[in-house]
Amino acid sequence: MSNIVFESVTRVFRRDGRDFLTLDGISLEIAEKEFVAVVGPSGCGKTTCMRMVAGLEFPTSGQVKVAGEAVRKPSSERAVVFQQFALFPWKSVWDNIDFGLRVKGLPAQKRREIIEHYIGLMNLKGYESAYPHQLSGGMQQRVAIARAYALDPQVLLMDEPFGALDAQTRVVMQEELVKLARINPRTVLFITHAVDESVYLADRVVIMTSRPGKVKEIVDVKSTREKEGWDKYSKIEDVMDLPSFVSLRTHIWRSLREEHGHVEERA
Amino acid sequence: MAHFRPARLAVGFCTLIGVLALWYVSTSATGWIEPTRFPNPVDVWDALQQITVTGYANGRLDQHILHSVALVVMGFLAATVIGVPLGLWMGYSARAEAFFNPIFMLIRPIPPLAWIPLAIVWLGLEDASKVMVIWFAAFVPSVINSYVGVRSIEQPVLEAASMLEVRGARFVREVVVPGALPHVFTGLRLSLQASWTTLVAAELIGAFFGLGHVLTQSSLDIYPAMILVAMMTVAVCGGLMTLVLTWLEHASMPWRRKS
Amino acid sequence: MSGGADPHLGHWPLSIAGLAAFFGIWWLAAGLGLAPPQFLPMPQDVLRTFFDLLHEPFAGYTLGQHLWSSFLRFAMGFLLAAAIGVPLGLLMGWFEWLDRIVTPLFECIRYVAPIAWVPFAALWFGTGIGGPVLIIFAGAFPPCVVNSYRGAKYVEPRLIEAAQTLGASNLRIVAQVLLPAALPSIVAGLRVSAGLGWMSLIGAELIVASSGIGYMLVKGQSNIDTAIVMSGMIAIGLVGVAIDMLLRRAEARLLRYRHPSNS
Repeated sequence: MSNIVFESVTRVFRRDGRDFLTLDGISLEIAEKEFVAVVGPSGCGKTTCMRMVAGLEFPTSGQVKVAGEAVRKPSSERAVVFQQFALFPWKSVWDNIDFGLRVKGLPAQKRREIIEHYIGLMNLKGYESAYPHQLSGGMQQRVAIARAYALDPQVLLMDEPFGALDAQTRVVMQEELVKLARINPRTVLFITHAVDESVYLADRVVIMTSRPGKVKEIVDVKSTREKEGWDKYSKIEDVMDLPSFVSLRTHIWRSLREEHGHVEERA
Repeated sequence: MAHFRPARLAVGFCTLIGVLALWYVSTSATGWIEPTRFPNPVDVWDALQQITVTGYANGRLDQHILHSVALVVMGFLAATVIGVPLGLWMGYSARAEAFFNPIFMLIRPIPPLAWIPLAIVWLGLEDASKVMVIWFAAFVPSVINSYVGVRSIEQPVLEAASMLEVRGARFVREVVVPGALPHVFTGLRLSLQASWTTLVAAELIGAFFGLGHVLTQSSLDIYPAMILVAMMTVAVCGGLMTLVLTWLEHASMPWRRKS
Repeated sequence: MSGGADPHLGHWPLSIAGLAAFFGIWWLAAGLGLAPPQFLPMPQDVLRTFFDLLHEPFAGYTLGQHLWSSFLRFAMGFLLAAAIGVPLGLLMGWFEWLDRIVTPLFECIRYVAPIAWVPFAALWFGTGIGGPVLIIFAGAFPPCVVNSYRGAKYVEPRLIEAAQTLGASNLRIVAQVLLPAALPSIVAGLRVSAGLGWMSLIGAELIVASSGIGYMLVKGQSNIDTAIVMSGMIAIGLVGVAIDMLLRRAEARLLRYRHPSNS
């Protein structure tokens, strides 16, 4: 079982002596091997949700559970892909992916197989000895994704992983991630503010309200995707042209727009 | 300030030649500047020959250099071997920082040269007092810069390390040390420069040997040419040591090289 | 290194423990008589000596008078270095030809440790004030030049273009665009320069002075009076910190109006 459960999670943030309610009673369940995207206006706490599953932050009240156990600290079972890539600059591509595997104590032969597998999968062949600063943003994020997948984690957490990339690279990465997610399905919590991306990648999309964040709406994408057969299109622009895609996207957009209105009121 | 393009080098070279010419003219040919105030190039050359071949102030130039450099290396190594690990530790352990910081804040504002009189009281005028002062000169920058080096490791990288469950000795060896290394080298460079400066000062104040002593002796003998020789030697040696350190720095951080 | 509340607040008992350990070991070592009291005085004796020196003269003057002597020399050397160094650095940054001519000379002289100027200082100025001032100048000069140079050279070209399109005269551009743009670098350089200048002063006074805090240290040393030497060291440290804090304040004040562009 590798499901994620939020049980009435509240997060209060203290700064300059004042308390800010960031998350207000989030209750959410993500099933095993389900790909869930979370969208919402800035400051709604969506990244905080992910960080609590990762064990990098903790709820003020309520619980976050993975596979039935409360999250107490970070673990390679809950692998994270950061927006800023977070690769170790002093390690080569190979060593970056290898590092976590060594900590897990895997034997050398096994590690080599795993790394070579993901280097092939993420189109990193030939760059094994390169250092992060020699790679483009897209390449670096590929390494970060390879690193996360190589750990064979129960849960994958992605915090706006394509946010720092330019538009064209972003599209390529989205296509690659979709392929990877279909070949290698696992529980994924994907944070993004790009609605297109969320509809394209996810099984369900969670829409959050503006601060203090609550779950506003959960949109089921998977049933539409399977019914309309999106997966038979390999190019992202073909999928995004489909009426079924457009109507889902517009629906989520409208829902978010209401929240943006609230943000402006409060500003 | 140093771009090694040919045109720049040419202009630089010409300027130096010009200055040299001016130097020669003003000190010997016209006598604008008295020989007791500033030496002329010929005298400097003679002084250089004297100290390299026959010796001055109890020894030859190479002996003085060796003696001074040896003291610097001893003090520098002794200080950095303690200072760098301490700084690193203070950087990643809030507890270590809380414990050592106040003591450090007391010691830090005292300039290295201010330790000289105390060192002389405790250890006399022999080499030991010099090494003690060099130790303090090298200790402070290495601690501070190692600390800053750890602090400069980006937060996402540290979070990635905790996500990968990197802990203990492995965390120090494969995350803290390489992450802090650029700043550690800056600290080492500053420590070395401070060590060298402090040694010369210490030898100026009281010594029986070494470059600082040459400076003192030539001052007492009113031998400006030798003063200049000693000053230039101090500058050149300092520069060479820094060069060696910079080479070491580039060699140890392959991930920082531009491809 | 974990997230959550500020860890530093929770560790102040350790800070106290650290200080206690430091003074405790000192006190024990002195009390056990590991060395005669002239070599290792008790901490409280050092403190007492420090306060005594404030009104009882030693080596000719009280502590305050020595410090004032030192500070005057420092101020002279520092201001001279700034008055020459900052304009020179700025001009070198703005005019390539000047940069080309001066840089080789500068690079040669820059690496000579300030203290190495002592023999020439003694030769040229004897025991007059010129000696220490020269050495302070030698220490304080390079950072002024280098930082002003950097501030001048690395100005955003677009700032200059914008001023020119608005029809500003060259003098205007210098005064209202280039100078303010270079200001942060200049001020940072002045702070470094002051620190180096103060340190060079101490060195100079250990050798070529007949008053001042460095001179007091040397006299204490020749009397084998460690308490006086340590008092002097404390005074030097305090003044150094005070100078740095003052300059930081001035830096923050001066640059306050620039912050909106950064936020």
